[in-house]
Amino acid sequence: MMPTDRSGSDALVRLTDVRKSYFSHRVETPVLHGIDLTMQRGDFLAIMGQSGSGKSTLMNILGCLDTPTSGSYVLAGQAVGQLSRAELAGLRNRTIGFVFQSFNLLKRMSILDNVALPLVYAGVARKRARERALLQLEKVGLADLAKRQPNQLSGGQQQRVAIARALVAEPPLILADEPTGNLDTRTSADIMAVFAQINQARGQSIILVTHEPDIAACAKRLVRLKDGLVLYDGPAREGLHQLQQDDATEQARRATRPAEATV
Amino acid sequence: MKFTQLLSESAGAMLANPLRTLLTMLGIIIGIASVVLMLAVGDGIKAFINKQLSVLGSNLVLVQADMRKSAGARLRTGTVQTLTLDDAEALNRLPSVVGAAPMLTTWSQISVGNDNSNTQVQGTTPASFKIRNLRMAKGSPITEVDVASAARVAVLGKKTAEQLFYKADPIGQTIRIDNQSFQVTGVLDNEGQSFDAGDIGEIVIVPISTARVTLVRTASPRSVQYIVVQARSAETLNDMVVDVKELLRDRHRMRAEDEDDFRVVNFGEFAKSGEAIATGLSVALGFVGAISLVVGGIGIMNIMLVSVTERTREIGIRMAIGARPADVLWQFLIEAVTICLVSGVIGVALSAGLAAAVTATGKFDMTVGFKAVAIATLFSCAVGVFFGFYPARRASKLQPVECLRYE
Repeated sequence: MMPTDRSGSDALVRLTDVRKSYFSHRVETPVLHGIDLTMQRGDFLAIMGQSGSGKSTLMNILGCLDTPTSGSYVLAGQAVGQLSRAELAGLRNRTIGFVFQSFNLLKRMSILDNVALPLVYAGVARKRARERALLQLEKVGLADLAKRQPNQLSGGQQQRVAIARALVAEPPLILADEPTGNLDTRTSADIMAVFAQINQARGQSIILVTHEPDIAACAKRLVRLKDGLVLYDGPAREGLHQLQQDDATEQARRATRPAEATV
Repeated sequence: MKFTQLLSESAGAMLANPLRTLLTMLGIIIGIASVVLMLAVGDGIKAFINKQLSVLGSNLVLVQADMRKSAGARLRTGTVQTLTLDDAEALNRLPSVVGAAPMLTTWSQISVGNDNSNTQVQGTTPASFKIRNLRMAKGSPITEVDVASAARVAVLGKKTAEQLFYKADPIGQTIRIDNQSFQVTGVLDNEGQSFDAGDIGEIVIVPISTARVTLVRTASPRSVQYIVVQARSAETLNDMVVDVKELLRDRHRMRAEDEDDFRVVNFGEFAKSGEAIATGLSVALGFVGAISLVVGGIGIMNIMLVSVTERTREIGIRMAIGARPADVLWQFLIEAVTICLVSGVIGVALSAGLAAAVTATGKFDMTVGFKAVAIATLFSCAVGVFFGFYPARRASKLQPVECLRYE
C-alpha cells in the first residue's frame, strides 16, 4: 500500500532489545526481557503466548499506547521513544488501526460516526470523513447499518465496524488484539477471512495477538513469547507445528508424572 | 477536532443522562436568573425614577419659604412669609435658571351641581406649565392676562375633570371653588405623583393672583409659599442652587452669620437616594447570584469528574484512535461550557418570564435587556471554563493503556 519506502531495509516495525518493567511501590517487575522484532510492510504476523508471557505488554508498546523502559522502537521510520503524548497520538492516528477484543465502539454514536472518528481526529472535515467512512463500511458489507447504534449490532457486525474504523484512515499497520476472543467459531472464521483478504488484496500489514492456534494459522508468520522473551519467530505453519509438539510433550509429561508417583 | 463536532458530542453526552444534566444545571440556572433579575431590578428602579422625574419636570428645585431667624430670636412659624413674587421674578432673570414659578396652594371644596370633592388648588403662573412639563389634554392653560387680571379661570386635572363632569366636556363650564365661581379653560393630560400635590391628575390650577384674592390668605400682598425653579441641565443644577441661595440671601439682606430664611429642596437628591436603593438591591441579588453560581459550578465540577471516571474507557478508545490530550481536554471543557451555556439560556428565559410577570402587575416595570443577556452569557461561559477545566485536564492526563484496561 505504501510504495514510497526509501530503501528495501526500511522495515515498518523495528524493535531492538525492548525491555519493559512495571513498578509498584518501587519494586520492579520485569515483563519484557529484551525483545527484538522486525516486520516488513505487507507481512501478517501472529503473536502467541500464554497469559503472563508479556504479549499484552508487547502489544501496548507496538501500539504506541505504552513506552518501553529501555530499548528502541522505530515505527514507520519514526523513533517512538522521543515523542510527546500528543505526537504519539498523531502517530497512532496516522500509522495504526486498532481492533480490540471487546470491539470498543463508542456508545451514543452512530456506526458511521464511529468509523469516521479517526478521520475527524486527523482533521478531515466531517462531511468528507462521513463519505470515506461510508465507503469503508461498504467494503465490510455494513453500509445499510450506518445509522444504527453499536448496541443494535451483533458481535460479528460490531467487529466488522471496528475493522472498518481501523482501516478508514489507511494506516500502514493494523493491530488486532484477540479480535475473535468474544466471538463464536463461525463468526471468528468470518472475521479472520476479512483480515486475510485485506492482507492479500491490499498488502495491509497486520499484527494479530491471539492464544488460539486456529486463529494464528491465518497469519504468515508466528512469534511465540514465553516469560518476556521470543521463543519462536518464523513461518506460521512450522511454528504452529512446533507448538503442537510442545503441547503434546507437556501433556505426556503431565500424564506420566502421576503414574510415576504411584509406582 | 472541529468545534461543531465537539458541540454535537457534548449535546450527546448531556442527553445521555437528562435528569442528571438537568439537576446539575439547576444551580447555574438559579444563579444566572438571579444575576439577570438583579440587572432588571436595577434598570427598572432607574426607569421608575426617570419616569417620576419626568412627571415632576426635570432638573427642578423647590424653594420653600421658611421662618426668619435673626440674632437667635425666632419668630413664630408662618408669621413672616419670606418669599415674594419679586423673588420669583428675580430668580427668573438668573442666567442659570430656565424658569421660576411662584406657588400658592390650598385645599378647597370644588363643586359642580351636586358633585363635589376636596382637592388641592394651586395658584401659579404660566411659567409653571412649562417647567413642570404640564401638557393640555383639552383647552388652554392659564395665561399672563389671566394672572394680571386675576381672572376666575381654572385648569382641571384629568381625574378631577372626570369626577366632576364624567364624559361631558368641561371646557367653558362653571365650577365652584369654596363657593366662588370659576370658568374651566382647560384639562391637563398629566398623571402620576407630583412632588407637591399628590396625584397631578387630581389638582386644580388657578392664576396665582386669583388664588390670593379668593382662596389663600397671605401675610403680605406679594408673598408666596414656594417657588419652583428649573435649571438648564442636571449638570448645572448644583451650580444653580448656589446662585439661587446667593441671590435670595442678597435680596433678603442677610448677614453672613444668618441662617437661610428659605429651604431649597433638590429633587436630584431624591433621585440619587432612589438609585442608592437600586444599587443596594442589585448588590443583594448579585450576591445571591454569585453564591448560586459558585455552588452550581462546584456541582458541575463534581458531575464532570464523575463523568470522566465513567467514561474512562471511552477516553482510552479515543486516545488509541488518535485523540491527542488537547482533544480530550477540549471535549470535556466544551461539555462543561455547553452545560453552563444552556443553563444560562434557561436562566435568562426564567428571569425574562418573571420580569414579564412583575411588569404585568403594573406596579413596576422590569425589562431583561441586551446587557443582561450578554452578561449572563459571559458569566455562564466563565463558570463552565473555570469549573470544567480541572476535570477536563484530569481526563486529558489519563494514560491510554490504563483507560483501555478500565471496566
